[in-house]
Amino acid sequence: MMHKCPEQLAAVRKRARARQNHARPRILVGAATCGLASGAGPVLEALRAAAATGAEEMEITETGCNGACYLEPIVEAVLPGKTRVMYGHVKPGDAPMIIQATVNGTVYEERALCRVDADEILLEDVVAPYRRNGLDAALERIVARDAHPFFRSQRHIAMRNCGVIDPASLEEYVARGGYAGAAKALLEMRPESIIEAIKRSGLRGRGGGGFPTGRKWEACRKAPGEPKYVICNADEGDPGAYMDRAIIEGDPHSIIEGMIIGSYAIGAHLGYIYVRQEYPLAVRRLRLALQQAEEAGFLGTDIFGSGHEFTIQINRGAGAFVCGESTALMASLEGRVGEPRAKYIHTVEFGLWNKPSCLNNVETWNNVPAIIQRGADWYAGIGTTGSKGTKVFSLVGSAKRAGLVEVPMGVSLREVVEEIGGGVTEGRTLKAIQTGGPSGGCIPATLLDVPVDYESLGALGSMMGSGGLVVMDNRTCMVDVARYFTAFLKEESCGKCVPCREGSAHMLDVLTRICEGAGRAEDIPLLEELSVVMTDGSLCALGGSAPNPVLSTLKYFRNEYQAHIDEHRCPAGVCKALLTYRIVAEDCSGCDACVDACPSGAISGDYSEAHVIDESLCARCGLCVPACPQGAIILQ
Amino acid sequence: MHQMNPVNFSINGRPMRAAPGETVLSVARRNDIPIPTLCHHEALTSQGSCRLCVVEVSWGDRSKLVTSCIYTPYEEDRIETDTPRVRTLRRLVIELLLARCPNVDVLQRLGWEYGVKPGRLAPEDGRGKERCILCGLCVRVCDEVVGQHAIGYEGRGVERRITTPFNDHAAACIGCGACVYVCPTSALHYEDVENVRIMKEFQTRVELAQCRQCGRRYAPAVLIEKVTRCAQTKEDDRHLCPACRRRTFAERMSAWMQKQLPDARANGDRLDVTTRAGG
Ligand SMILES: Cc1cc2nc3c(=O)[nH]c(=O)nc-3n(C[C@H](O)[C@H](O)[C@H](O)COP(=O)(O)O)c2cc1C
Ligand code: SF4
Ligand code: FES
Repeated sequence: MMHKCPEQLAAVRKRARARQNHARPRILVGAATCGLASGAGPVLEALRAAAATGAEEMEITETGCNGACYLEPIVEAVLPGKTRVMYGHVKPGDAPMIIQATVNGTVYEERALCRVDADEILLEDVVAPYRRNGLDAALERIVARDAHPFFRSQRHIAMRNCGVIDPASLEEYVARGGYAGAAKALLEMRPESIIEAIKRSGLRGRGGGGFPTGRKWEACRKAPGEPKYVICNADEGDPGAYMDRAIIEGDPHSIIEGMIIGSYAIGAHLGYIYVRQEYPLAVRRLRLALQQAEEAGFLGTDIFGSGHEFTIQINRGAGAFVCGESTALMASLEGRVGEPRAKYIHTVEFGLWNKPSCLNNVETWNNVPAIIQRGADWYAGIGTTGSKGTKVFSLVGSAKRAGLVEVPMGVSLREVVEEIGGGVTEGRTLKAIQTGGPSGGCIPATLLDVPVDYESLGALGSMMGSGGLVVMDNRTCMVDVARYFTAFLKEESCGKCVPCREGSAHMLDVLTRICEGAGRAEDIPLLEELSVVMTDGSLCALGGSAPNPVLSTLKYFRNEYQAHIDEHRCPAGVCKALLTYRIVAEDCSGCDACVDACPSGAISGDYSEAHVIDESLCARCGLCVPACPQGAIILQ
Repeated sequence: MHQMNPVNFSINGRPMRAAPGETVLSVARRNDIPIPTLCHHEALTSQGSCRLCVVEVSWGDRSKLVTSCIYTPYEEDRIETDTPRVRTLRRLVIELLLARCPNVDVLQRLGWEYGVKPGRLAPEDGRGKERCILCGLCVRVCDEVVGQHAIGYEGRGVERRITTPFNDHAAACIGCGACVYVCPTSALHYEDVENVRIMKEFQTRVELAQCRQCGRRYAPAVLIEKVTRCAQTKEDDRHLCPACRRRTFAERMSAWMQKQLPDARANGDRLDVTTRAGG
């Protein structure tokens, strides 16, 4: 697919090609926030130091996160003419061996994970094999990435450049087809036909609501009023979710390009990126990318000679979860308190400064260039009838292989959790999957064959949300889970409207007392009534969806609530107040070891007679358990 | 779509017509259809936060709850103000507010009207001694009507409170008492003690000015200044307490009438005292 190449883009292309032609060995270190947290920094330094001693010219750069966070720190070595090798759990001490192997065009097998034989340039629909010559035996022995369980059923569209390019390099982005979509849109398409393409692609918002993106753009384009604004929601407040961060840190230009296309389609000349306060690296990467795009003429006046003018500003979020909500975000951008307002008046008509505004999530914007370049039909060919394309999920909790996973819409939850995620930690069993972030719902293991798309997850009382997937095993108490998420939402409630402010606090009170063994028979109906007032009555979707954790656990794990309330028992053995320590009389030798260990003086018994624990004195600290040489103390 | 034309819709089966931009609540009030409200005041921007004014709107075969104080109807909306779903929601909202403010009589009356079972939601952490329902009327009146912006919110969720900047003496407060007046639950008070007005909930003291005639301390000096600036009252009127002002006015009026009446009679005119003197 070749398009007319505007001058500004051609200049960067030329620089990019000059770099590529060097074809020297290259080492990439996954240095997104997740990689750095697992020690990528010292690894990078060690690699640089080791390379400096060699004679061979070698390029060592940072890259983003390729999703396999459970294997971090991750290092990839490009062996020109051969293949690309991925290493995992790399320690600084491994650096000399990796450098040596790379210089020799082979692999340091100790840390090797898999081999990538071809570079897929998604935007240009090109699969470029690295291999021109044969591989040595060691390289042949390594599994290909396409056969690696974590990668084989993934499909990277949003993450097309994450962990592949140096996010600080505009040339590398352009070399993989970057900004060609923007050039195509601005020079060859009319705004209406762009909107038509986005509509036909079936793209829906990735920030939670799943609203059809093309329709939003159309409404904003048609809304009377000038100027118009496009906004990127990079507030990402869901605890445990970090796909937006990974995309910004690994591929910042993709968002800028998506916004350029959107601004032209909608008729906006100013864009804002609202980034979460806690994402300093993402902000740095974005700042640099914006500067590069401006210098290259991709932002500013007369972009690509099309006459379109567009610039982007970065704003740092105010640090509250609710600021990710569209109206609160816009209030915060205006410098007011980040509080939601009722949306009877839509923000596409009256948004930022009361002007037509189009707000989309990071991942939504990032999909746009791919749709424009590869075509709406290509995109619509991926996924299900109602949910098109791919979605990035952050797979966390007790999954064996945790990380960011991008799959086509409609694959089963089982495939994501068991195939890609490798199921739960050894010796445990899968109990439930919590999807959709804090206000999502829990889906029991029995329903694992549900396809992941907007409708199916919604039908089960959960939601797609922004793509959080928390894997829970048999050691999880579902009442405790509901309490945990409710506590989060209660803390984040802005307090403006009564149902959410007061309702979430009472909901937490009730859940807490159930977990503490003080639950009452009427608590379940009370939780249900509180859910009604919050769902039906809250001003914004925070309160409106806050009962989901409670409702979904009540739906699928009601017996656990009942066990807590009626039998004062926590079946999963999590709720401390409901646990009892007991000495099995037959196993007790009466050695008194536990008596000495117990700080509460709750254990009594004559020497060499079976001892007993006085439940009213027991503080449930568990210190007696390891103290008993007979293993006679059990927890029930 | 923002409406540019009047909208035809119905409330409880009665055909209604809303002016462009008019809310369902406003139409209902014009037509004597009762809808309870707590955070609404016709002089202020609605914020839709108490959720008591919910009504059910149906269009086609779908329906949902909307807050009538901010919802502007669409053509052919069918609004019902007293369905079971509406009543349930109002009952629960009142129950939540009563748990927070058990001693507020407005809420007690509403609780009785909507059948709230008492005592089910007893907060366990000291919540429940409040009078403030956080309707925000005081914040808005101070901001939008008085123009002082002396008070605002602090904290979020159930920790949210109405307070002054830094919880300290509010420098912007002119002691006008609009917040006290507008508060539906009598959560705010002021008291005039000797030469100061104390805004009790806001740690704020404002100096009271003296009446030039009787010497009584009658209103905050900064308030008088502001009123003079805004309303352009006569220089010599503004330093008088209401009683002295009334007396002065009456004296001036009778002097003026004495002068006018003979001339008027001579011309055969009828003197319209109400419009000319009162206007
Ligand atoms: C409490 C709350 C928090 C939200 N947080 C985010 C967020 O962090 N990021 C995001 O993209 N959308 C968030 N949303 C959704 C936004 O309101 C909005 O729907 C979205 O950004 C629109 O973009 P999209 O259509 O591309 O998804 C949040 C919504 C609510 C109610
Ligand atoms: S639902 Fe919660 S977060 Fe949203 S406006 Fe109401 S109190 Fe604030
Ligand atoms: S009066 Fe409408 S929400 Fe309070």
